[in-house]
Amino acid sequence: MKTNLTPIISALTRQRGVRGSLLVDETDGVIIDATLHVGMKGPAFAALAASLYRKARLSADAAGLGGVTFLRLRATEGHVCAAGKNEMVLVIVADARANIGLIRMEMLKALERLVI
Amino acid sequence: MISVAEPWVEAPLKRFVDDSRVTFALLIYPSGQVLGQSGFSRAVDVMSAAALAAGIYATVRELGRTLDGRGFRDVFHAGAKRRLYLAEAATPRGTCLFLTVFDEQSSLGLVQLYFEELRTSLAQMKVQVPDAAPMLDENFEVELNRNLAMLFGRAPGRRSITPTS
Amino acid sequence: MADDIRRLSEALARDPASPVYLQLGEALRKTGQLDLALKVAVRGLERHPHDADSHDLLARIAVDRGELERAFDEWDMVRRIAPAHLGARKGMGYVLFKQGRYVEAQAYLSEAHELDGEDETVATALAMVRVKLREAGAQAPQGPQGPRQVHPEDTEDTADPADRDDPEHLRLFDQINEGGEHTALLLDATGLVMAGTYVTQDGRDVAQEVGAELSGVSDEARRAMRHLELGDWSSLTVETDAAVVAMAPMRDDALLLVAATKAMPLGLVHRVLDRCVERAGAWLTKGGG
Repeated sequence: MKTNLTPIISALTRQRGVRGSLLVDETDGVIIDATLHVGMKGPAFAALAASLYRKARLSADAAGLGGVTFLRLRATEGHVCAAGKNEMVLVIVADARANIGLIRMEMLKALERLVI
Repeated sequence: MISVAEPWVEAPLKRFVDDSRVTFALLIYPSGQVLGQSGFSRAVDVMSAAALAAGIYATVRELGRTLDGRGFRDVFHAGAKRRLYLAEAATPRGTCLFLTVFDEQSSLGLVQLYFEELRTSLAQMKVQVPDAAPMLDENFEVELNRNLAMLFGRAPGRRSITPTS
Repeated sequence: MADDIRRLSEALARDPASPVYLQLGEALRKTGQLDLALKVAVRGLERHPHDADSHDLLARIAVDRGELERAFDEWDMVRRIAPAHLGARKGMGYVLFKQGRYVEAQAYLSEAHELDGEDETVATALAMVRVKLREAGAQAPQGPQGPRQVHPEDTEDTADPADRDDPEHLRLFDQINEGGEHTALLLDATGLVMAGTYVTQDGRDVAQEVGAELSGVSDEARRAMRHLELGDWSSLTVETDAAVVAMAPMRDDALLLVAATKAMPLGLVHRVLDRCVERAGAWLTKGGG
């Protein structure tokens, strides 16, 4: 299903090394919109990344560190990046060799353009 | 705290509760008999929840058939603080209903994710299927009470809930 | 927080003489709105020039603005107005510590300790100062590069035998942290601090709080990895309004946490994290002590 957010999400997925990008409802952990490479488990990424982002947001707030602007999980075979706005979380799954600096910048720019 | 009426339910149910961090979980037969539970502290609450879940599920299945030509597979309700998810799962003993209640420690996405795992585990369980016996109303009440007593540690060792005649 | 600020602003507008300016100033400070916080504090001080809390607020804001001298003067004023003010001693001790004036810092922190012997943050700060004093004492004979304010004889005076059991865990990451605007903690599987310190700009040691709150994030990461088919996680970086926090898993489900200022480049934060992981790994292999 295409939404008015699809072009923004799709543009992120075209970045080198990105396997999928998802816009997720932070509270419910379900996909609002996504563009994924074949074989990617979208619902699992959505649920787990939103939960991770939410936990980080609440913990950082409780620890007096303020709001979370960006989160990156690095693993041996890839990265998960997340940035949130208005109870939505923009999630990117990328290869281990992806240019995370560039992806981070594009995500933050995309987040500014997202209006729901 | 998890308690089960049948041991084969324990491991998958515990894993679901640990992973999804739900507040309550209840696995029942469509008749309302309880297979296992987590989070409830009183038998009366389990009894109420089991009866209500069975009732809700029967209703929404029928509603699904009327509106969509087939029964709805799962039900989600978002309350102010707590959310409820109700779905069916196939087991070697037949179809069961699964009810879970969760708060902000979990999410619908997580519950669905881990419920799929639970559903798969339950379907693959190697359990001896008992001889079919009629589920008489009189037996049901006796069995339900025994079942609840077992779940809350007030009945001796019978671990099967095969209907008695 | 934004709602609180709005509510407090409205309350102050309704009654400019109200002490609510203290809460408003603190809320603004915590959200990094330092210029506004300063205005609120200065106006409050104009109305309440002999109020110790007003000077205390101004001192905290000054620290956040990097104006250590001004902060020290304000806390000095607090001490004159309210001789038993614990926060003033802690603040002055912190400023002196940041300036490398460890002997003087020790004096103020000792006074704070006398005022409240139960305050763990003071005890930790005092232990850190003593570590620095001993290091300075060891360096002084080698030449003029050691901290100028420290005299070896001062360190001799303070080195009581109990201090020889100096907490190695407190200074595990000192060499890595030196000169940088970052701090490191090693947490066990239950979120308790095993090594390192986390001292805020106003001198509070919040290691336990930060550790307890952030360790739960690594549980989430661990859980996520089971389903995402991305292998094991090696680091988690969280950028917040106030800081960058990077975490890495250690053996026995322990967690290494590095917190840096926003000004520190992200690549450098990861480099520091890697070095701290190496250091903590060696320390844990030795048995953690």
